[in-house]
Amino acid sequence: MASRISSLKWNKYLFAGLFMTGLAVLLGIAGFFRTPYSTTAMSAAERFDPPSLRHLFGTDNFGRDIFSRVMQGMGTTILISALVVLFSAVLGIVLGALTGYFGGLADEVVMRFVDAVNGFPSILLALVMISILGNGRQNLILSLGIVFTPSYVRIVRSEYLRLRDADYIRRARLMGVGKARILFVHILPNILPVFWVSVMIGLNNAILAESGMSYLGIGVQPPDASLGNMLSDAQGYLQAAPWYALAPGLAIVWVVLGFSLFSEGIRRLCE
Amino acid sequence: MIRLEDLSVAFDGAEVVKNINLELRDGEILGLVGESGSGKSVTALTLMGLVSDAAQVTSGRILFDDVTLLEAGRPRDRSLYRGYQGNKMSMIFQEPMTSLNPTQRVGKQVDEVLRLHTGLSPEERRKRVLEMFRAVGLREEEKVYASYPHQLSGGMRQRVMIAMAVILHPRLLVADEPTTALDVTIQSQIIGLLREINEKQKNTMLFITHDLNLARRICRRIAVMKDGRVVEQGDTEQIFGHPAREYTRKLIEAVPSRIKTNKAARMADTAGEPAVQVRDLSVFYQDGGNSLFSRNRRRCVVEGAEFDIYPGESVGLVGESGCGKTSLARAVLGMNRDITGQVVHRTMGPQMIFQDPYSSLNPAKTVGWLLQEPLRARGLLDREKAMTGEEMEEAAYEMLRRVGMDDLYFHRRPSQLSGGQRQRVSIAQALITHPGFIVADEPVSALDVTIQAQIMELMQELQQEMKLAYLFISHDINVVYRMCDRIMVMRKGRIIESGDRSEIFEDPKEEYTRQLLRDS
Repeated sequence: MASRISSLKWNKYLFAGLFMTGLAVLLGIAGFFRTPYSTTAMSAAERFDPPSLRHLFGTDNFGRDIFSRVMQGMGTTILISALVVLFSAVLGIVLGALTGYFGGLADEVVMRFVDAVNGFPSILLALVMISILGNGRQNLILSLGIVFTPSYVRIVRSEYLRLRDADYIRRARLMGVGKARILFVHILPNILPVFWVSVMIGLNNAILAESGMSYLGIGVQPPDASLGNMLSDAQGYLQAAPWYALAPGLAIVWVVLGFSLFSEGIRRLCE
Repeated sequence: MIRLEDLSVAFDGAEVVKNINLELRDGEILGLVGESGSGKSVTALTLMGLVSDAAQVTSGRILFDDVTLLEAGRPRDRSLYRGYQGNKMSMIFQEPMTSLNPTQRVGKQVDEVLRLHTGLSPEERRKRVLEMFRAVGLREEEKVYASYPHQLSGGMRQRVMIAMAVILHPRLLVADEPTTALDVTIQSQIIGLLREINEKQKNTMLFITHDLNLARRICRRIAVMKDGRVVEQGDTEQIFGHPAREYTRKLIEAVPSRIKTNKAARMADTAGEPAVQVRDLSVFYQDGGNSLFSRNRRRCVVEGAEFDIYPGESVGLVGESGCGKTSLARAVLGMNRDITGQVVHRTMGPQMIFQDPYSSLNPAKTVGWLLQEPLRARGLLDREKAMTGEEMEEAAYEMLRRVGMDDLYFHRRPSQLSGGQRQRVSIAQALITHPGFIVADEPVSALDVTIQAQIMELMQELQQEMKLAYLFISHDINVVYRMCDRIMVMRKGRIIESGDRSEIFEDPKEEYTRQLLRDS
């Protein structure tokens, strides 16, 4: 009886999460190819139209359709966040595996570097890096990726540290299994459940960070839409057109909440 | 004094204790014996009123001096139980480390019992606790009083637990596997202590164990449990002499005992060259981590070990935990690099079988994958020995059948197997590359006795078939007696005595060996 209740519970999380992220990802992908209206075409006649059937989320200060821009922005934000997480997760796995498994001097050096990166507020550090590297999507991904890597290194390292002396890993060494194979074929699958959860949390953080950076004007550059730079544009018109800020704001909440529920569902599923 | 009448306990609708009737008479020690999962711990916890709320008493009742403590269809009366727990009945658990609070001095923890149940002044309580510590054989009781659990050894912790359990002179003492986590010499001291307490305080004892030998040494009567039922109960000697039930007989036969001889003929081929030759081997350990800033201290854990093992021979290595058995074995296999001396292998790819079947198989892989991995690894190392996918699969199936497992386990994961099955897979994995030499580190001590017997039999069969040399590590003298041709006794990093099995068992030279034999 108890097990049935708890299984219903994770289903709820997973279904809600799947629905919300699924919708966001689909809209975002569609936004790359086709939007109801052009995301850049301006129209003086249609400035600040409130939400209606013609313009679902209304129009902005240039008369652009906000729904179309949210679609595009959501796609951009999710894509950039996914690439950030991919970059930092892969780097985190490699560095964490090597430092955790082998230890020694390399471990000390990498971990002190990780401590150093952790010592600064992450957004600030990314800001500094962008200002050195220059604006642009690649640099945004690179700098956020570097800022996000330490947390993955820590998680992966501690798991490798724990598993490197497991009996089954000892036996694998005794069988003459190569080091790379032990690292990535024998140990890696065992840390994925733990890692997966932190990837999902990282994705949320990346979405918020990307939005924050674009809001500050150093991420995605206009006229391209991103949820962050839309919010930044909208803040001047909060009184005149509240829907302008509300639409990208709610979109961020929708995506983050969706991923949170999804990762919670996955976590419960794994237990 | 205590009667369990027709007691059944169910979890989630599944009965784990089924209609058992037990009677504990005043002052007697009753042994409750059975394999893991037979329901003996649930029975004890139910009796103590400590079983979790998920458990439901579906039939019967528990009587303590004609007072009904618990009855089916009536919710558990917590306030009634509180009058009995600690005061009239108390319990000793298996793992003294987790049953003591690690953040409190042990003296205070025992003191707490007195504070709750008596009106004694703090000075009187302290006096009583120290007296009790002395009575359970803790020397330097003042020092123990002020110690934290982690500062004490396993045996001392168990003595503290016993002191805590008996300080109020409870009429009923339930001991759930009280010595399983301890070394044999300590084990027999604890057993002696429990018997002494029983004589002095005249309390009734329920002694729960999976170890029949142990039950035989302390209990006058025994109840045997299987699958939640009591299948047999009666006088200890009568049960051992004339077991009425098939299961009891199997259980008794499965216990490795010195009275029965080793069935397998001696296979050792000592004429030829030894499979392994160890000369003047010392093993060192670094104390104090691998940090850049800490200075390391080199400590010698094995000193000057010398032995040969011939093909087809089993050599036993016995000694208490921490004596260096495992360090020696790892060094022989080259898993420990900080050594001096010489190890010569004349066989290819020696393998190891570990104690814990739950941690020696990669949980992320299937049995089939695990069995093929040694072959893949060999193929990657040495192109000439590389096999095709089908060949490896074929070999894996064959090995799986060889260790007595069905083909359908090929696609299962370790978590879907029982302890005995996992140990079979471990053995299969170790043997699939046909190594000539195997180190088995306590390969059966985590298993139930009947499974133990099956695994030992399998290992002996495979030894004859493949002319294997075994280095067999165990703390259980009886297991070693059954498995080994030659025995080495280890103490504090040195091999203090070695010889043929009969020599060691019939005419031990060292006092320590004699003590080991006496205690088991």
